[in-house]
Amino acid sequence: MSTNQPLPRIAVHSLTGCAGELLVILENLDKLLPFVHVTSFPFAQGKNEIRPVDITFVEGSVSQPHDLEKLTELRANTRWLVAVGNCAVWGCVQRAGCNHCSVQKMIDAVYGTNSPIEALPAAPLDHYVPVDVKLSGCPIDATQFLAVTANLLRDHLPYVTHKPVCLECKLKENGCVLIEKNLPCLGPVTAAGCGALCPSVGAACYGCWGPCEEPQMEAMATILSEKGYQLDEVLGRLQAFGAPKELFVRLEKS
Amino acid sequence: MGNSEKKRIEIPEICRVEGHSAVYVEIDQGKVTNVQLDVFEGTRFFEQIVIGHHFEEIPHITSRVCAICSSGHVLAAINAIEHILGFHPNTTVSLFRELLHLGMVIESHATHICALALPDFLNIPDLMEFASAHKEEFSTWTILRNLGSAIQTTVGGRAFHPVNMHVGGISRCPSGDELKPLLEKLSFAQQKAIDLCSLLMQFQPKVRRTTEPTFLALIPNKGKYGFFGDTVKSSDGWEQSIQNYRDYLSEKSVPYSHAKQSKGRGKPLMVGSMARLALFHDLLDGQAKHIYQSSPLASGDTNTILNNLAQAIEVVHAIERAQEIIRVLQEVEEPQFAHPEITKLKPIAGSGSGAVECPRGTLYHYYDIDEAGKILQADMVTPSAQNTARIELDIREVVDQTLGKTSDQLEGNLETLIRAYDPCNTCATHMVSVNYL
Repeated sequence: MSTNQPLPRIAVHSLTGCAGELLVILENLDKLLPFVHVTSFPFAQGKNEIRPVDITFVEGSVSQPHDLEKLTELRANTRWLVAVGNCAVWGCVQRAGCNHCSVQKMIDAVYGTNSPIEALPAAPLDHYVPVDVKLSGCPIDATQFLAVTANLLRDHLPYVTHKPVCLECKLKENGCVLIEKNLPCLGPVTAAGCGALCPSVGAACYGCWGPCEEPQMEAMATILSEKGYQLDEVLGRLQAFGAPKELFVRLEKS
Repeated sequence: MGNSEKKRIEIPEICRVEGHSAVYVEIDQGKVTNVQLDVFEGTRFFEQIVIGHHFEEIPHITSRVCAICSSGHVLAAINAIEHILGFHPNTTVSLFRELLHLGMVIESHATHICALALPDFLNIPDLMEFASAHKEEFSTWTILRNLGSAIQTTVGGRAFHPVNMHVGGISRCPSGDELKPLLEKLSFAQQKAIDLCSLLMQFQPKVRRTTEPTFLALIPNKGKYGFFGDTVKSSDGWEQSIQNYRDYLSEKSVPYSHAKQSKGRGKPLMVGSMARLALFHDLLDGQAKHIYQSSPLASGDTNTILNNLAQAIEVVHAIERAQEIIRVLQEVEEPQFAHPEITKLKPIAGSGSGAVECPRGTLYHYYDIDEAGKILQADMVTPSAQNTARIELDIREVVDQTLGKTSDQLEGNLETLIRAYDPCNTCATHMVSVNYL
């Protein structure tokens, strides 16, 4: 490769979220800077331009028309679009909020009935545009982020695991907090990647990475109700971090 | 420029702040007629989100208001709920919580000072140049934020959004051996933090507000400089319990912004590092005290830009205090065994508040819980919402002074001014639902 070849260009943007992914990316930039040119990253630098780039990382959910305009523009200017973090992949806690209260009702309660504030029900990026890689996490795992980026810089679509947290928990040889301590651990239905952080400190997984592939929500609810948890509390816990309502159709009927 | 001319200053997106905001200033007949700080971060309605959830879930959900001060949101929620349930954590739990909080203060302040504020003073246009042309400052940032992150990871189980901190205690208190490497990191970073203070003292503020701000901060527990307390003190001379925060903090929504504005007894407030140092510098000790005494802050200079320096002094304090805490914990903790220190709390119907001094100022959480432990009502008042009115006043005062003069740097200087407050728009739009009064 000629040394004069321009570096691949990346962009890092946020919609509506907690800025956690921006922080993880910022904190790992020293590892990336030799290999990429940061075309825009408004959180971290003053000079930003929107122009065609190779990879765009977007955190946050689409929660207002302004987010949607920005996302559409970013999608049109990037080869790979990577949704980073639970908000961008699932919609996180704000999507859960929209499950039990309409956006208009929330606006009315907060800003009054004639407010000019515009809001959309919080939704993940792929609700509106095609997404090439979904890297969940709350926040994302730095090692996974660097691996995904390295793959994309080599033109490979990376493999991202969506196996349950239990898999990582067993590899760490933790005792099971669900079976042994009767804690409401959501590890069996939550996507791994964190390294089973909560059970490793003796606490229950609360599902912050979003659902794993083919989550068995009914089985999970059955176990928790056997442990004495009420169904409405179980549903609240299972949906708190953005798991889509469709996964709970049968449970909500029961 | 003639006096009759109408002029509008617009900064459509302020960079290097957390979240999304814009500034609009209108000038007419040679006077500033309107200043608007528009926070256009999408709203997330946190007070609605938590309703119906069990109190045990609340710290984990509210943590997501903001990554950079997630430990603060976790601890404010825990304080409020434990207050309602009448639970008092033991000394070990309290010390670990304080240590976690100090880790957040170090990481948050370091990131704000080095990555967000410093580029203004060193004229750094982008990250590439920061990393290559200012290696020393870039490395200071790396060392300090890695330190903050190591403390939070050791104590909280993750660099932010801690998994280890719960209502009723800590699910895994790290062993003495796990704390040991933190001591080495802390003593290595201490000089870096002191150097950062010296660097910040060299920069002369280019703009200056013209009126004195009203400062408000929690009176620290146990007569030591710190970030936890139950009563606030104002530089206007009054004190009040945070349980009655609705009596002194008024809140209104403004039509142009997604963030609400809070005022203290009707006046714009400044909260955060400068407020804490102005009110409680007497309680500092060690190197932090020496640096404070040799700084312009000690002679009563309250220029907004000096908040960056105030943050750096707090980093020095946090590093010294963290070493002290770890030494105490090492005496009581087993070298090789981690252990849980958690009490399962029974729900009691009731309501109450908790507050902590976050990096940017006082953060309040309020909850109303039913007899099954579910949240009926919630409220949060963030530091950034409290600072907004004062930011707008600062902008007005600074623009007023430039009228009739040529000032090609005005937009840039205004951004620097706003940035000094370290505004956190993700916090400001969390969002506040007011059903009270």
